[in-house]
Amino acid sequence: MAFPFLSFLKRSGLKRSGDPEAPGVHPQPFWSFRPRSDRESGDAIVSNFALHMFPAKVSRASLAWKYSFWLGTGSAALFLLLILSGAPLLFLYVPSVERAYSSIKDIEFVVTFGSWLRSVHRVAAHAMVVVVCLHLVRVFLTGAYKNGVGQGQRREWNWVIGVFMLLLTLLLSFTGYLLPWDQLAFWAVTVGTNIAASIPFIGPQVRELLIGGRAIDQPTLIRFYVLHIVVLPGALGALFAYHMWRIRKDGGLAVTDKEALANERQEAPAVSTKTYTLLGIARGTSPVVRATALSRLDTMVNAVPDLIRRANLVTLGTIAIVSILATFIRSPLEEAANPLVTPNPAKAPWYFLWLQEIVTDTTVKIGSFTINGAFVGGVILPGLLVTFLILWPWIDRSPKEATGVWFDRTRRGQNLAFILLCLFILTLTFVGTVMRGPYWNIYWPWEIWPEIPGRI
Amino acid sequence: MEKRTNSPYPRIDRPVLAIVGVLLVISTVLFARNDREHEWRWYQTEFKRLVAEKYGQDKAKTVPSGLQQIWIPSMAKADRCVTCHQALGWKGFETADEPFRTHPQDILKSHPPETFGCTSCHGGQGWAIDAGPAHGPIEHWNEPLLGKQLGSEYSLVDDKAALMQMNCNVCHRYERETKGAEAINRAKQLVNEKGCRGCHVVNGRGGTIGPDLTYVGDKEAEQYEYGRLSGQKTSFAWHVAHFKDPRALVTETVMPNFNFSSKDAQSLAMLALSWKKSPVPAAFIPGVPLSEPQTEQEKADEERMKTGPGGWFVKTGCFVCHSISALGVKSPAQIGPDLSTAVEDVQSRFGRTLDDFLREPTGTMAVVLSRQIILSPEEKAVAIGKLREAYAEHEKQKASAAKADKSAAPVAARH
Repeated sequence: MAFPFLSFLKRSGLKRSGDPEAPGVHPQPFWSFRPRSDRESGDAIVSNFALHMFPAKVSRASLAWKYSFWLGTGSAALFLLLILSGAPLLFLYVPSVERAYSSIKDIEFVVTFGSWLRSVHRVAAHAMVVVVCLHLVRVFLTGAYKNGVGQGQRREWNWVIGVFMLLLTLLLSFTGYLLPWDQLAFWAVTVGTNIAASIPFIGPQVRELLIGGRAIDQPTLIRFYVLHIVVLPGALGALFAYHMWRIRKDGGLAVTDKEALANERQEAPAVSTKTYTLLGIARGTSPVVRATALSRLDTMVNAVPDLIRRANLVTLGTIAIVSILATFIRSPLEEAANPLVTPNPAKAPWYFLWLQEIVTDTTVKIGSFTINGAFVGGVILPGLLVTFLILWPWIDRSPKEATGVWFDRTRRGQNLAFILLCLFILTLTFVGTVMRGPYWNIYWPWEIWPEIPGRI
Repeated sequence: MEKRTNSPYPRIDRPVLAIVGVLLVISTVLFARNDREHEWRWYQTEFKRLVAEKYGQDKAKTVPSGLQQIWIPSMAKADRCVTCHQALGWKGFETADEPFRTHPQDILKSHPPETFGCTSCHGGQGWAIDAGPAHGPIEHWNEPLLGKQLGSEYSLVDDKAALMQMNCNVCHRYERETKGAEAINRAKQLVNEKGCRGCHVVNGRGGTIGPDLTYVGDKEAEQYEYGRLSGQKTSFAWHVAHFKDPRALVTETVMPNFNFSSKDAQSLAMLALSWKKSPVPAAFIPGVPLSEPQTEQEKADEERMKTGPGGWFVKTGCFVCHSISALGVKSPAQIGPDLSTAVEDVQSRFGRTLDDFLREPTGTMAVVLSRQIILSPEEKAVAIGKLREAYAEHEKQKASAAKADKSAAPVAARH
């Protein structure tokens, strides 16, 4: 077969030339999406670069739509889409304060598919923030950062990596925000970096480091640009690889451990061969998950085609939805950045608005004395939150039976607290995004904001 | 040969695959269509047809296709207006509907589009290729097309297309008169007649009571106070209302109400907004001095007044607002009352003697005498002496005039 990617066209009923009779001899150097045997299925994983990070077999339960909602795959698909849509934008965008704005105007108006590309990039970026957050919520509510029955499991560390990946996602989105060099960009970054400046003692220096000076100008733009296109995606890619690797080291998704626990006392039938039952990369000589779980054939399926099919469906579905949304949601481009005119209200990006809201609410005026909330709302609170998120796997004392189970009884209290926290953040985000109008006054949805003046 | 472990295809995956497939097709159709569908394609086909009708197929073939633009690096402008407005230089479409109309050719001789572009005169968003964003008004683009439509929205008096003259004046700001810019010319005339420079610096010359207006056109729309303005909230509307009645918008202002007509207020608002520090290449500025010197006549008049009996009032600057007719001083603005009768007038207006009032002035004069014309007590004494002289002169002139009247019309007087 000269074209391996066409091999799925082959009918499984056809006799292939060169099928080996001897075990251990590969029937052909290529692979198939429609394997006829476990061996062919394993070959597809082993001989394909793109698939080699997957295990040959996965537990059926971990593929269920209802367990994970495939949010991690969705995040990865969005990251892929962001790289794909960002690459052509790299050729079109000019990171200079004189030309950035006009290069975006050109992308919007005259570049073929330019407006759509930019919208795909923007919609995917916002969607990635949402999906990554939902992924974190899913992992928390299923107790998936907990270790089950496998040896050498370090799921708590994968959770920590995940938290950093979320932070990188937010930073990626935030650095991209500045690039169009319009009023929206300039003032969102002003708000963001001023919050950093509120850290006691080192705040002003941190801000200076972030923006490359004391005012947001060309040095800021080039810093954010390089962070956005090289440093942060590189870091996220590296963490992504590590995240994936840890999943394999930990014996798959946490729900696999639940299955293993359920099957523990059942007697496993004799297994004829274990050639392809590599659930994880072995640590020393012991398989990662106990043989009882692995050997029950009805709980395990081949990664090719079952895992790959769904991963492809999720990826293609994500791309289709983002692409359709991008044709309806035009990306905004406000007036060119103007340090002399502050838009009223000046807002941070939406995913930081709950923080901006807290900054406002913790700013207390007593007579002429003002306690600035930027430090509390902008530094202390998110700092505490991230610290708690990172430490939570060690604080959580629930039994290992709660691993990979939605809303386990033993974790009822912490799940409730977590959901309340999420609702709190959602509410503040809503207030900050929709209800805050000029002078940061509250406007109900039925109230009309004052008219924004124009030149003529 | 070993068999594959049985794993039946989950039933739900088929509809999911079907949905994803349909979504992918929809998305492809949508973005391809969105990118393709622009009104300029239709306008270009239509213009080709019009040219073919008039001049034949061969000529029609010379009409360019695809996106067109005029790129002016010196102003960082890419004006894509010519993508639809293709008739720009074609003869024979002078009466056609837009966008197929020939541009008036006279003005293009001195302002070739390949040098000036379109938006430097007409306004609008040159980057855009659809009428909506190109013409405006549209959110986030502060320079809409300065055409009749916008003029009608502002109920311009007489010439609805006059707004465009603002852009003429970006380059022609130092000219006394610019051909074709009647509203701006009228406004410039008013600036001199009303003595705006009494209080304001314009182009480097004038008083300091009011703000410097040289680059007032650069003031951002957000920086005006609209609290007392009804109707449109724009810089232009603000200026029109402010020229009509300054105190209605800024209660504490000392700017007098000149009772400008709507037309004059609109012209002045255009002039004010045209005073921008625009990055116009030097080559675009017409060959006039880059300042606004007084004319010979104005200089001669001032010189004559300076050396006359009222010279003191000219040198100190009182004459900017006040005439002292008895001493032959005529104010160009005549905002304040004639000072010939000040001795009597101050008493009747303020209930105070002239000496007392000058020592501690109130109202507008308090502002003027504290900020722009600062007089020492000795100078004030001189002023009082001069004003007494003027009053005496005034009385004398009145008496002689009365005498002349009596002798000229004895019959009428007896009746």
